[in-house]
Amino acid sequence: MLFNSYLFIFGYMPVVLAGFWLLGQRRRDWALIWLTLASLFFYAWWRPVNVLLIAPSIAINYGLSRALQRYGETRPVLARVVLLSGIAFNICFLGYFKYLTFLQGTINDAFGAGLILTHVILPLGISFITFQKIAFLIDVHAGRVTSFTFRDYALFVLFFPQLVAGPIVHYREMMPQFHAAPCRFDAENVAVGISLFFFGLAKKLVFADPLSRLIAPLYTQTTPVTMIDAWIAALGFTLQIYFDFSGYSDMALGLARFFGIKLPVNFNSPLKASSMIDFWLRWHVSLTRFLTAYIYNPLTLALTRRRQAKGKPVFGGRNTTVSAFATLLAGPTILTMFVSGLWHGAGYTYVLWGVLHGLLLSVNHAWRLLRPRFWRDARSYTRLMKPVGFVLTFVSVVFGMALFRAPTIGGAVGLWQGMVGFHGLTVPKALFSHFGPVANWLQALGVQPVWSSGSFLMEAVLRIGILLLIALCLPNTLELLSRYEPAIGVRPPRQQPAWMGRFAWTPSPAWAVGLACVAAAGILSLGELSEFLYWQF
Amino acid sequence: MTEQDKLATLTQILRDLLGDDEIALAMDTMREDVPGWDSFNYVNFIVAVEAEYGIKFRIAEIESFPNVGAIVKAIEAARPR
Repeated sequence: MLFNSYLFIFGYMPVVLAGFWLLGQRRRDWALIWLTLASLFFYAWWRPVNVLLIAPSIAINYGLSRALQRYGETRPVLARVVLLSGIAFNICFLGYFKYLTFLQGTINDAFGAGLILTHVILPLGISFITFQKIAFLIDVHAGRVTSFTFRDYALFVLFFPQLVAGPIVHYREMMPQFHAAPCRFDAENVAVGISLFFFGLAKKLVFADPLSRLIAPLYTQTTPVTMIDAWIAALGFTLQIYFDFSGYSDMALGLARFFGIKLPVNFNSPLKASSMIDFWLRWHVSLTRFLTAYIYNPLTLALTRRRQAKGKPVFGGRNTTVSAFATLLAGPTILTMFVSGLWHGAGYTYVLWGVLHGLLLSVNHAWRLLRPRFWRDARSYTRLMKPVGFVLTFVSVVFGMALFRAPTIGGAVGLWQGMVGFHGLTVPKALFSHFGPVANWLQALGVQPVWSSGSFLMEAVLRIGILLLIALCLPNTLELLSRYEPAIGVRPPRQQPAWMGRFAWTPSPAWAVGLACVAAAGILSLGELSEFLYWQF
Repeated sequence: MTEQDKLATLTQILRDLLGDDEIALAMDTMREDVPGWDSFNYVNFIVAVEAEYGIKFRIAEIESFPNVGAIVKAIEAARPR
């Protein structure tokens, strides 16, 4: 069942909410059990057999967590074995469904082994669910989660607003909320929930989907893509996935809020980022948080301690040596982003995309260390170089997205060549004739008039232009709703421009009318079912 | 060593790490308060602190320090005066 379907909005959600509030009036724990069962139903709707996979996985993880809790203090070695086998179990579980075919294909590519590919159907949201379960095991082992029941654990794993595509949540930030939730109708929660949900629905259906249909042919085109088309393909997909994922994240926040639950921030205007590091603190925030806490930090910590024990120089800020930088920062960063790429999808393009981002992040870190050597004044640097950083980040992200979307690495390279002008620059003849004398100059510069659709170009430029303005210039939903804590920890900034105070979301008639329009636009576009990009991961 | 001495040492470590001499840490400073002190730099900071005092924090501890004051307290707990 998709969030963006009639059935979900007008069937599932009203029934689940009504049941939740009615049961909540009698007993809170009935309401929470109802919510757990409703979430299981939500998951089963897509393919009932998936329940047979997720249920044993929940039971096994729960058993292992209990063992960890029991032996954590008294028998540390045993606890470690349990933890490692738990992590291995979850990775194998994910590996079988997601990576077996990829692995067989890679072996075939490398050795010409001719293995027959096993086609396994990916259970919905398995990548997200797996990461969340691994985080839980580690948290129990580390003593960050001390008490839990089976009912709590099942609700934590299955809670449907974040089940399929995140945010990846921690037990310790969710359970206290479930335990404190009144499970009653609450006007503020419903108003904030409805607003977030319909903002998200409109982003997905009105902004992302039409763009997806527009650019799809450019990614299957067999002839080389010329410069303008290549940029339309890359920018178009960047904005498509931006509004798709931003929309999904808003809807997840909104749906959880109906039940009085706040989810963590997942998406915070990433295209406004002024550096690659900044980008990853704004795009898929809960994934960055997971990867940092459970892969990057333990890895650098262990590596740094080891280097220190050997008496080699460790990371020392501006006095860092090249070898310390390579082993303690660049290496772990690239490895972490490699895992991130692989996690997104079993394919060479995703892996390369991850490594590319790892390299970009490393360059960003290296520059941070080197910069003070020839530009000492941090304040003037920030003022002058922030726009440059923004442009570099934006272009890097767009190039990366072309790789993320392209069906093969060859396709991505072709697109990149197109973007830098290897395949020439063409303009539809119909438009060319409007340029007057400028047309001659352009032609002298190598711009070719061709027979192609002028309306495609116009539509693409308009859509991309408008969406870029929205993404770069308007406040995001978290900022608009900041007075009502739309996501965990989001509050109004200490200083904000006066106009922001005037436009911020309030339960006012003007906002009601505005949101009704947003909701209507979303609902009227519900016709075609289209999955969220992140549901495939 | 007093809390203030430790705070001064931590401030110097962070200044060196981030290359920013205007950083001034207080007991209630949080990571978000210092520009550029993101999760990547955090581990390096922690290891530098460990090296300075010859101590070792537990991973769970490192993840859950709410502010600089908590780190100072953890150093004192690890090495009583």
